[in-house]
Amino acid sequence: MTIVFQLLFTGLGVGAIYALVALGFVLIYRATNVVNFAQGEFAMLGAFLMVIFFGDLGLPYGLGLVISLIVMAIFGAGFNLVVYYPLRHRPYLPVVISTIGASILMSNGMLALYGPAPQTLPNLLDLPGLLIGGVFLDSQYILIICVTAALVGFQYVFFEKTLLGKKLQATSQDKEMASLLGIPVATMIMITFVYSALLGGLAGMLVAPILFVSIGMGGLISLKAFAASIIGGFGDVAGAVVGGLSLGVIETFGAAYISVPYKDAFAFLVLFAFLLVRPQGIFGERVAQKA
Amino acid sequence: MRRIGNAPKFRSMLAMAGVLSLSVLAVAAAGAARADDIKIGMITPITGPAAEAGRYAQWGAGMAVDEVNAAGGVMGRKITLVIEDDQTTNPGAVTAFSKLSSQPDIPVFIGSIRSTQVHATENDVLKIGKPMFIGGTDPTLTQAGNPWFFRARPNDSYSAKVIADFGVNTLKLKKWAVINSTDAFGTNGSKALIDALKAFEIEPVLVQGYANQAPDFTPVVLAVRQSNADVIGSYFTFEQDLGIFAKQLKQLGVTAPWVGSPSITNATALRLAGPALFGTYGIADFTSDSSPEAKAFATKYLALHKVEADNQSSWTYDAVKLLARAMEDAKSTDPEPVRKAILAIHDYKGLEGTYNFDSKGDGLHGYNVVKNENGKIVFTKHVDFPG
Repeated sequence: MTIVFQLLFTGLGVGAIYALVALGFVLIYRATNVVNFAQGEFAMLGAFLMVIFFGDLGLPYGLGLVISLIVMAIFGAGFNLVVYYPLRHRPYLPVVISTIGASILMSNGMLALYGPAPQTLPNLLDLPGLLIGGVFLDSQYILIICVTAALVGFQYVFFEKTLLGKKLQATSQDKEMASLLGIPVATMIMITFVYSALLGGLAGMLVAPILFVSIGMGGLISLKAFAASIIGGFGDVAGAVVGGLSLGVIETFGAAYISVPYKDAFAFLVLFAFLLVRPQGIFGERVAQKA
Repeated sequence: MRRIGNAPKFRSMLAMAGVLSLSVLAVAAAGAARADDIKIGMITPITGPAAEAGRYAQWGAGMAVDEVNAAGGVMGRKITLVIEDDQTTNPGAVTAFSKLSSQPDIPVFIGSIRSTQVHATENDVLKIGKPMFIGGTDPTLTQAGNPWFFRARPNDSYSAKVIADFGVNTLKLKKWAVINSTDAFGTNGSKALIDALKAFEIEPVLVQGYANQAPDFTPVVLAVRQSNADVIGSYFTFEQDLGIFAKQLKQLGVTAPWVGSPSITNATALRLAGPALFGTYGIADFTSDSSPEAKAFATKYLALHKVEADNQSSWTYDAVKLLARAMEDAKSTDPEPVRKAILAIHDYKGLEGTYNFDSKGDGLHGYNVVKNENGKIVFTKHVDFPG
């Protein structure tokens, strides 16, 4: 029984990582109707900034975190201006290609700047973890689950209960209509990119103690996060979280009881099944309405 | 406005000056290699992901060249390296070799440490018919009938034998869990380890593959725990995977001794996994404490280059020394006499071990076993097999 609980905890921890990155996907998708394929690279960049400010320059953890987040916010704004904004009137495909190009540029840029060697970051909390009834709870996984839960709550309240959130939603649904209503569309989109860069960067900093900091870390998580957002229903906050968590749990149990080497296949089998049977995902009605 | 109008002219003048100064430099560099020097063509990554390792390879080879020349050279002639960049790619390796092999005054070569790039140059080396030292450890490279490949590192067929031998005979442990990456390297390594254990009439209690770049190893660690294995043998390809596995092994309370393939001893793995790897064993082709020769090299290398020596530099050092010795023994730089002289080398104490060439061109037949003692790699024993 302890094994089942151990697997469940790890599955939820891994799932929370997917969910965290999936939230970034959802956010940009809701505001621009475009999938940002550089979301995983935001995570990579955030983790490397933390390595630079905390590891190399020796700043205190909290200060390093704040400076890294500020840099991420500026980067998010720049990303919007360079990668999205010039193509905003084009169909979604050129924009998607533009984000893919940006992701390649980001990972290779970091490779040129920092070299290929993977780096480490310590756990934020000093204690390694808790041992409860034979089940080991890694403190970093606990932290990731908590942060994900907090961000989901924040994002829900933000989108559903605040005027700014509603303006962002309106922008996403119909840009022309939104601007006719006096919503500053360009600013809304700028806010979205800044927030989603922050989110991505934070995800990278949180997973760094577990996955280490490497050039390829973004690609590793974002593919699964993308699958998670489709399973959950693209564009839905709750969907991203449920999709992420279930993907993590399915993967971990599948690995334990069916096959470890084919673990990744389970994620994509589930994705395939959803695309076949319920392409709008678990919480998908809203997307169907949008379309 | 005039300045803008003149800009292209100025720029082209600047470019011309640049080209001129570069060609002057090139002539100066060429001047360093005198006409009667014996040239050793070397293919190594100067650009690409392995550029760092390529620099170490050049440093190692360069130190050997200096030592050979200081001791009087080969047949009274100085030796020099002619280096071409393989860009860490297969096409790059092929181009680099064709540039080198088109120079008739280069009698011998040093190839890549990566097996796939050695494979890429295989046919061209066979066509040219001149000796090449390689560092790639895929056993088939020397066994596929190319008489011009000679290896200055132990091949992979020995790594599994050494892991099994050390676990069974030294640690006296019989319940094995074999963990491996499911890529070509890990799968072949695991197969070889299972075969090596069969020689001791041992069937592993667990053989568990995993896909590279996994974010989590809990299911694998739990499988090890449930199998009640008392020793772990592993073939990990990427240090990140090894680091995550090592940490989770500790977290979930698995304390069985662990004997890993060389990746467990490399600097990246030590940095990533930290204390999680303390107390583990690994095999390594170069360890500074394995012999007085290795120790002397490591000290000199550190003083010259401010970096700890590793196998990237030790094998090219050995390769240059072996080539120099073979040409000296043969009293010739002609391919066939040099080939015969290399195969005749026995009991040569190099940095990677004692070279005894077999008929296939493999010089080494064993590995060092090392232990991670609080983050420091400590030489434990050398295990050799009859070639």
